[in-house]
Amino acid sequence: MALSGFGRADTTLSVWGAQLGPDSIAGSLAVAQTFETRHPGVHLRLLGLGVGHMNPQKLLTAIVGGSPPDLIFQARFNISDWASRGAFIPLDPFIRRDFNQPDCPREKEYYEAAWSEAVYKGKIYGIPTGADDRALYWNRGLFSRERELLTKAGLDWRRPPRTWSEMLRYSKALTIKGKRAGFIPNFGNAWLYLYAFQNGASFLSPDGKSCTLASEPAAGALEFMKQGYDIVGGYTEANVFQSGFQGGENDPFISGQVAMKIDGDWSLPGLARYGPGLDFGVAPPPVPDDRYYRRGRFANEKDQFITWIGGFSYAMPRGCPHPELAWEYIKFASSLEGRLIENRAQASSDRAKGRMYLPRIQGLKAANEALYKLYCPADPKFAEGLRVHVGLMNSARVRPATVVGQLLWDEHVRATEQTLLGKLSPMAALSEGQQTVQREMNVLASKGGYPEVSFAVVGAIGGALALAGVILAVIVWRRARLGILARKEARWGYLCIAPWAIGFLVLTVEPMLASLFFSFTDYDVLSPPRWVGLRNFADMLGPDRANVIKAFANAGYLAGMGVPLGLASGLAVALLLNVGVRGIRFYRTAFYLPAIVPVAASAVLWIWLLTPDPNKGLINTVWRSSVGSWLALPPPGWLTAESWAKPALVLMGIWGAGSGMILWLAGLKGVPASLYEAAEIDGATSVRSFWNVTMPMLSPILFFNIVMGFIGAIQEFDRVYIMAGDDSNGPSDSLLVPAKYLFTNAFGYFKMGYASSLAWTIFAVILIITLVQFRLAPLWVHEESLK
Amino acid sequence: MTSNLLYAIGVLAAWSGAAMLLRALYLTLRRAPGVAISAGAGGLLLLGASTTPVYAQGLGIPILWIVAPFAAWATATCGWMAAVRLFQAILDGIRSRLYAGLIWIAAGAVFVALYRLDPESKIEIVRGQIGLSLVSGSSLVGLAVAAIAAMAAASRRVRQVSGRLAVHAALLAGSIVFGLPFAWLLVTSFKEDRDMSNANGLIWVPRVQRTVPFLDPSDPLLEGEYKGNWVQASLSGRTSNGSYIVEVQRPASLRGVSFVGAPKSFRVVPKDAPVVSGAGFIGFVTKELDDGRRVVRFSAPLSKAGKEQTFMPADLQPVRDIALRTQNYTDALEAMPIETKHGLVYLKNTLILVVLSVIGTLLSSSIVAYAFARLRFPGRDTLFKILLATMMLPGAVTLMPQFLLYRSLGWIDTLLPLWVPAFFAGAFNVFLLRQFFSQIPTELEDAGKIDGAGVLQTFWRIMLPQIKPALAVVAIWTFMGAWNNFMGPLLYINTPENMPLSYALQLFQSERGGEPGLMMAFATLTILPVLALFFFAQRYFIEGVTLSGFGGR
Repeated sequence: MALSGFGRADTTLSVWGAQLGPDSIAGSLAVAQTFETRHPGVHLRLLGLGVGHMNPQKLLTAIVGGSPPDLIFQARFNISDWASRGAFIPLDPFIRRDFNQPDCPREKEYYEAAWSEAVYKGKIYGIPTGADDRALYWNRGLFSRERELLTKAGLDWRRPPRTWSEMLRYSKALTIKGKRAGFIPNFGNAWLYLYAFQNGASFLSPDGKSCTLASEPAAGALEFMKQGYDIVGGYTEANVFQSGFQGGENDPFISGQVAMKIDGDWSLPGLARYGPGLDFGVAPPPVPDDRYYRRGRFANEKDQFITWIGGFSYAMPRGCPHPELAWEYIKFASSLEGRLIENRAQASSDRAKGRMYLPRIQGLKAANEALYKLYCPADPKFAEGLRVHVGLMNSARVRPATVVGQLLWDEHVRATEQTLLGKLSPMAALSEGQQTVQREMNVLASKGGYPEVSFAVVGAIGGALALAGVILAVIVWRRARLGILARKEARWGYLCIAPWAIGFLVLTVEPMLASLFFSFTDYDVLSPPRWVGLRNFADMLGPDRANVIKAFANAGYLAGMGVPLGLASGLAVALLLNVGVRGIRFYRTAFYLPAIVPVAASAVLWIWLLTPDPNKGLINTVWRSSVGSWLALPPPGWLTAESWAKPALVLMGIWGAGSGMILWLAGLKGVPASLYEAAEIDGATSVRSFWNVTMPMLSPILFFNIVMGFIGAIQEFDRVYIMAGDDSNGPSDSLLVPAKYLFTNAFGYFKMGYASSLAWTIFAVILIITLVQFRLAPLWVHEESLK
Repeated sequence: MTSNLLYAIGVLAAWSGAAMLLRALYLTLRRAPGVAISAGAGGLLLLGASTTPVYAQGLGIPILWIVAPFAAWATATCGWMAAVRLFQAILDGIRSRLYAGLIWIAAGAVFVALYRLDPESKIEIVRGQIGLSLVSGSSLVGLAVAAIAAMAAASRRVRQVSGRLAVHAALLAGSIVFGLPFAWLLVTSFKEDRDMSNANGLIWVPRVQRTVPFLDPSDPLLEGEYKGNWVQASLSGRTSNGSYIVEVQRPASLRGVSFVGAPKSFRVVPKDAPVVSGAGFIGFVTKELDDGRRVVRFSAPLSKAGKEQTFMPADLQPVRDIALRTQNYTDALEAMPIETKHGLVYLKNTLILVVLSVIGTLLSSSIVAYAFARLRFPGRDTLFKILLATMMLPGAVTLMPQFLLYRSLGWIDTLLPLWVPAFFAGAFNVFLLRQFFSQIPTELEDAGKIDGAGVLQTFWRIMLPQIKPALAVVAIWTFMGAWNNFMGPLLYINTPENMPLSYALQLFQSERGGEPGLMMAFATLTILPVLALFFFAQRYFIEGVTLSGFGGR
């Protein structure tokens, strides 16, 4: 190998976003290790780091902090968001140079859709590896069992629907209210994108400058989805129906409760694992009738069937330490050989676990053919499924490459929901989304219009402030007129508080002033800040108002429910313990233990406890056999359901309320027994003496804990970050909290200026709440303890 | 076995519930307080017992089993409470009792309506060990009468004891609820993947796949070394000069690696072949075919022993024994990136962070607190008020500028931003320690001054020893804070070598979240050190909470 010259001895090549999950780790490692053996002295380091998909925080902090990885394995759909910020290196020069080498990736060897998704403004920023496309899964066995029903409806039970209108008719015939759904448009993985693409929609104008989300074809597709949902009883009904079946083995498609679904090729392994006996078929997803019969708008259309794909690509971040070696790795990993090595390793690992191996779809045409030959399953229905998915790759579409790809996605989801819930007409909902996206595009385009602020000015202001401080200190010192001894003591005093004073100035005052300054700028750290005046605050009250209000409302919910419930449950236990039972140490430990479990560990633990599937999650197992069976209530979706996500956090908070209990116990010990005796003489019942003696005496503790509890709850971050996932804010933003929103803005979108204005808003809110609480305190806090 | 246990608990709960209701009846007769509590608890226990699966019978406890939907139970409870209240109203002539009774009747009516609404609701009486006959019915009534008589005969002391028992029962139930997640964590960390989900409720008794050692001549398992690491590998080919090309199977962090070695450097070891059963046979899997089918070598019945046949996976059942799957722990450790030395580096980083934070906090906070408490200097009180005000400042405001500050210092991807601030005295700790310093009598200090001790000497030799318990509390809180710190590493740390446990755990969750067994094994390992510390320093933990809570006063 002539390539060993690239790496000096012991060069470490780091790859982030590596797929290290159980279904992909063996393959990822095999590719890396083979590369190592071929390039002696090169050490590969594969890290997941939670990057590569939609969460950009880690990668951006690394790039800005000056320690980026060599390579990033990135979801293709976000690549243009990155490229537009100058965070990725274009790969064209490498390709041009190595074009004639056998392992060099060449556009024509890839499916057009897979390649073009990583192209931004004519340059390629990532080389595709995997690709995933969507197809129609239909339950052949069910069709045959219900042949009479289908025949009566004038439908052929031997084949799946091919057009939208057929789809709706099949769905209507097969749907039994509450028991079985024929077809739920968004069950599986289709989204509006698939139906809109099928209907000939595009989401951006050809020049990429304006958003065309609200177009006739897209609205038509949304209308189709609406009709589809109406057949199965409406969007809310369908979601309730769906939420009963989380988890692979409970897939309603496998159990025959959903007759047809549109899903990606990744669902094949799931079917092999949980429903190997199911008689199903895979077909191209049904298209608009005009497209199928090639008439009207589609008279000259090339593709009869259409799917859309996503997938991952290798890309090089700005500041990549070993670009040449990184390029070698990209070439190797994306080549036919690399793809085969990965699949072989994964196959042997899966089989060792006793599972059937089904290869995933690739972006490289040759790889798909080779893999299909090698791993064609013995079972004909799986073989057919794989073949259909491979075949669809030639007529695939992709989400548009744009700066605002993520926002466009989020807005299209929102518009879909609004329409399906019947709140807006398709066109109106799409127009709203289009406006939001367009506004962001305009802001990005107009960035140059604001003046840059040089750090010299900022430094000068800071210097002036510091000088003023020094002068003030000198005046105070002069005024004091101390004797020699006092002077000596004062000097020692200042010396002793120096650690705090320095920390206060450097880590508190300076950052606070800096953050105040940033809140009036547009600052992305990569380029100098630009003075935008009050625009950030105006944005907060204007276009972004909904998010900000939602974040504070969520925090308010967590504080308003979590703090009182936590305190009350702690008090209840403390009261029980305070009657002087034996074994108080044991009980105290038992109730207190959860409070000392590290947040990260308890969050991870609770993710599993709260798993909605009652066959898996502890809480829902208990629910199913208690509340669920008494009241015939379906188990709640907890973190996966909008209305249950916050109660889930509150529940978890109660579990950790042990420290409150200890506090109450200490407080109860401090209540003089003479007061109770006096109350008893007056003939008070135990309930009365609780409200008239215990509570007033405990009110100062209660007050203090309410104040601190609110401050803590409004700053909630760790649990939400871990439990909602790093790139999500929970279902329908139900776990969007101010600190997380700030974090995402600052280190995700690098809108430091906007984040700073959010920070100051959080500060203001906390200050107001605390002041109000102090004002109200005299009304209910026992006065003696207030001094 | 589990269902029997559940049944026993259910029966016990039902009997206790019945006893409580009888007690309530007795209390009513005596016009004693506590009727509502007794009746409510009894009703709750009966309600709880109603969740016990009815199909499980036995244990020789005679029982009448009533299966009813919630609405029926609620109706019964309402009826019972209404009767109690009305009875009291008649006996005592108190008007409010009458109203209470009417309210209960109204509530009961609502539940009757609810019960009527649900078409599938019905009340069944399942017979336990005693049949539902005139004889058994009258004997049950007799039992109830006898129980009430016994209660009447019992002294006041007995009443107290039963109160105690109720408190203990409540506390114990609470402890179980609070401890359940821990139990689940521990059990799950020892379960196989396939036991993670079960349609009949959670699996609390882990089972492990039975395996047999199998020396496979056609596809041998080799043991050897790769770059200093112990590996098990399968043979994937031979080079032209006869060396082996092998592919690593274990440890998990190297799975899939392919390398070449001389045949002598490997040792052939038996594979762990999974034992399976099927229609009328037991055997073990010798080979997994490319198309998903499996080759099984029979071991029973004897007539087939040693022969092989190919099966579809659906036709085979694994043979499993009750055991703990400790492999989750070794797998979790093996799955950590190689450079973290099976996660030891995470632990090391966390320890560095914790130790330096604790030292820094103790040193800086105590000296600053001492100055604020005992030394006089101009502006002292103003400065102290500023210090108190900073306690309310949300971390969010300083987050980003601090990030930029550390970036300009080149501290990104080091532990420095996480522990250096500890040396600059946190406001809360200063406040806490100052309160303690203020309580020390001045005589001690004066004695020191007479002996000619300087400020530092007085602080170190005389004052500091006086507040040892408070220092311990501060140390423990700092320890917990540093062990817990998540946002800091999330922002500043980019490589596993510098990662502390908290962040590593979150990453493990986001990468390997699909494997609860490994996840829970890792989580258990993260929690263990904190729990150990807690059991050694329980007193300070408890004191710490108490102090922090009262600190605001």
